[in-house]
Amino acid sequence: MNRQTSRPRTPIRTPRSSRRQFLKGTTAAAAGLALLGRGPAVLGQQVRELQVWHTEVEPQTVKTIQEGAIAEFERRFPGFKVRQQPLAWGDLNTKLLAAIAAGSPPDLTHLNPFMTASLYTKGLLRPMDELIRALGEKEIHEATLKLQYFDGRYYGVTHAMGGIYIAERRDLREQKGLKPPQTYADLVNLAAALTEEGTRYGVTMPGEKLYIGFSFPAEWLASNGGSWVDPKTWRPRLASRAMVETLQFLRGMNRFMPPSWSGQKYLDTLAALATGKVAMAYLSGARTIGYIERYAPEGMRDPEHFQPMFRPHGPSGQTGVSALDGENWAVFTQSKYPQEAFEFLRIFYTRQHYMKYCHSVPIHLTPIFKSMIDDPEYLAHPRIRKWRSWHDAMITGLREHRFLPIGFSRPDDKLLPFLAELDGSGIVADMVIEAMVGGTDPEAAAVRAQQRAEELLTQLGFKRWS
Amino acid sequence: MRKSALVGWTLLAPSLLLLGGLVAYPILYNFWLSLFAKHAFLPAQTFVGLGNYRYFATDEEFWRSVRYGTIYAGSTIVFQLGLGVAAALLLNETFRGRGLLRGVVLFPYTIPTVVAVILWKWLLNDSYGLVDYVLVATGATRTPPAWLGKDYIMWSLIVTSVWQFFPFVVVTYLARLQTIPPELYEAATVDGAGAWRRFRHVTLPQTGAVLFVIVLLRGIWMFTKFDTVWLMAGEGGVSQYVRTLPVYAYERTFTYLQAGMGAALAVLMFGLLAGATAVYFGLFRDEEIVS
Repeated sequence: MNRQTSRPRTPIRTPRSSRRQFLKGTTAAAAGLALLGRGPAVLGQQVRELQVWHTEVEPQTVKTIQEGAIAEFERRFPGFKVRQQPLAWGDLNTKLLAAIAAGSPPDLTHLNPFMTASLYTKGLLRPMDELIRALGEKEIHEATLKLQYFDGRYYGVTHAMGGIYIAERRDLREQKGLKPPQTYADLVNLAAALTEEGTRYGVTMPGEKLYIGFSFPAEWLASNGGSWVDPKTWRPRLASRAMVETLQFLRGMNRFMPPSWSGQKYLDTLAALATGKVAMAYLSGARTIGYIERYAPEGMRDPEHFQPMFRPHGPSGQTGVSALDGENWAVFTQSKYPQEAFEFLRIFYTRQHYMKYCHSVPIHLTPIFKSMIDDPEYLAHPRIRKWRSWHDAMITGLREHRFLPIGFSRPDDKLLPFLAELDGSGIVADMVIEAMVGGTDPEAAAVRAQQRAEELLTQLGFKRWS
Repeated sequence: MRKSALVGWTLLAPSLLLLGGLVAYPILYNFWLSLFAKHAFLPAQTFVGLGNYRYFATDEEFWRSVRYGTIYAGSTIVFQLGLGVAAALLLNETFRGRGLLRGVVLFPYTIPTVVAVILWKWLLNDSYGLVDYVLVATGATRTPPAWLGKDYIMWSLIVTSVWQFFPFVVVTYLARLQTIPPELYEAATVDGAGAWRRFRHVTLPQTGAVLFVIVLLRGIWMFTKFDTVWLMAGEGGVSQYVRTLPVYAYERTFTYLQAGMGAALAVLMFGLLAGATAVYFGLFRDEEIVS
């Protein structure tokens, strides 16, 4: 075959730089980039990063921390940079466990109290007695002081406290001449009285697993003389009378709830309350105030129309109990800069910064210091002044011991190392939904959940019963 | 001869390494993991042999998730095929604006799943959703249906998934339609065949192979679909009514924190799909040969 063609050949252009030159150039560029990336270190100013994770995601809170405690810490410790990572409540556990597994947890983090026991028993937490003493053991409110107290040492300190309530349309209830409910039956009757077919439902609650599968059931058990497990054998008590009675009550309440409640989220329920589609939101904290001020009709954005109510108690209980939203700070044994983490906390809790922090979401972030709760400067915040009845509800709840940490059915649940797994499994959420909307007999739903929970604890190696 | 074999193996080595590292190793490791009771994050594990598999053989949740997964995958495939083939036939015709419509029909497939699900959840929300608003405003109902509640959540999920994935059927089927020789239709028309008979005796036989592949791929993808299901109801109380096998495997691993159990579920899912694929190939061998 003739390779010659009649077409004139175009001379092939050779690159101007040789392969060697190209390699030299690339290497130099890569080295330059690497040096730039480690600039401060090369220049002898190594910047160390203090990783801080927390669950207060409101932009104004993040800004307050950044401009307050972080700015001061960085001034005092010039070689350090603080990186704060706000995380949603539900994301914290998974992310944290993954970080621990990878051997690189944050230096300082918020921790849900029900996680603390699990991590403490695995030897992952550092004690912080010195810090607690510096902050004032007697100054910290009893509701939070000893939640992370194991074997005579402190392993955490609560960042702030927020009570959980039922938020009600007070005006509607008073028009009907009804009192705030004391018992499960009162609440069902109130929900029935406030329901107006086609326009308004009596009550709603979020259908998220986090709440109906863990936080609420713990409250229901506590309010009806029950507990998650037998304290000695750790055998689950999901089929106990306390739980079955609760499921029966929930079934009754379901008749006055929007049909889609089980698919709704927390913020949907607040929007429904603010806009008048429901008369009561079962899950509410002081953040509800923000929703009311934004979405309720003008002229109704006040405590005369919207008020918190305590949880009712069940037929086998004495006092209605609800969750105290308040994660604790924790420092891991694997933390890179534990001493600096403690120093950061000392700065965080100084009056000047801590007051601003609590004011960033007033009432929701109630101070842990007894003196500050009644401090005129704290109470002078315009929102606290306007919504004083919400603040007072918090104080009453603390005084009457109506609060337990999220997911606790009794104070000693802090010793249970499997609450995170029980929460994650969704076993309890399935039970509640089956009984409330699935048409399953409450007792049958409870028995099934009991069996599943027993299987789970056995698989996890926590079976102590025979 | 020996030298050429060595050269052959040397040339093959990169591919083998790649396949081994990216396909074989993860599958084998997953199977190995399924033989342990292992915490998802902490270094705690115990060898349990086939214990995890024995557990799932009698686990009500497992069988329920298989049932929901089959309902979800089966329904979405049927509707995707019906809608996708009809749309492809329409888009194969000549009319003004066809080019634009062909582009628009792809839109649901190109948007991220999270956006698609948020959009549908907003449309179907019974408090502020457009669907219920229209139903109430037009007097179709006084009590708006709870599309995201227990009774309709599976249907809502199916509608969302069909909307999102039917363009795949359209594009694939349309590509094949465009390669059918027009002479076949002309001959059928001359023979007096109407539209239905042309479809039945020309289009369908010509597109059998592509339908075979579409059903196979979409079947596997829908049975293993996680993101849409999870975003639609994963964190909600109604999740138990749409808890398909991939969701259950995820929950066992990352919320129950039982990685061994999760791995066993993944192996079971793999086995179920492999079995179903084998049966499918057996039933539709002709289409396979054509393809």
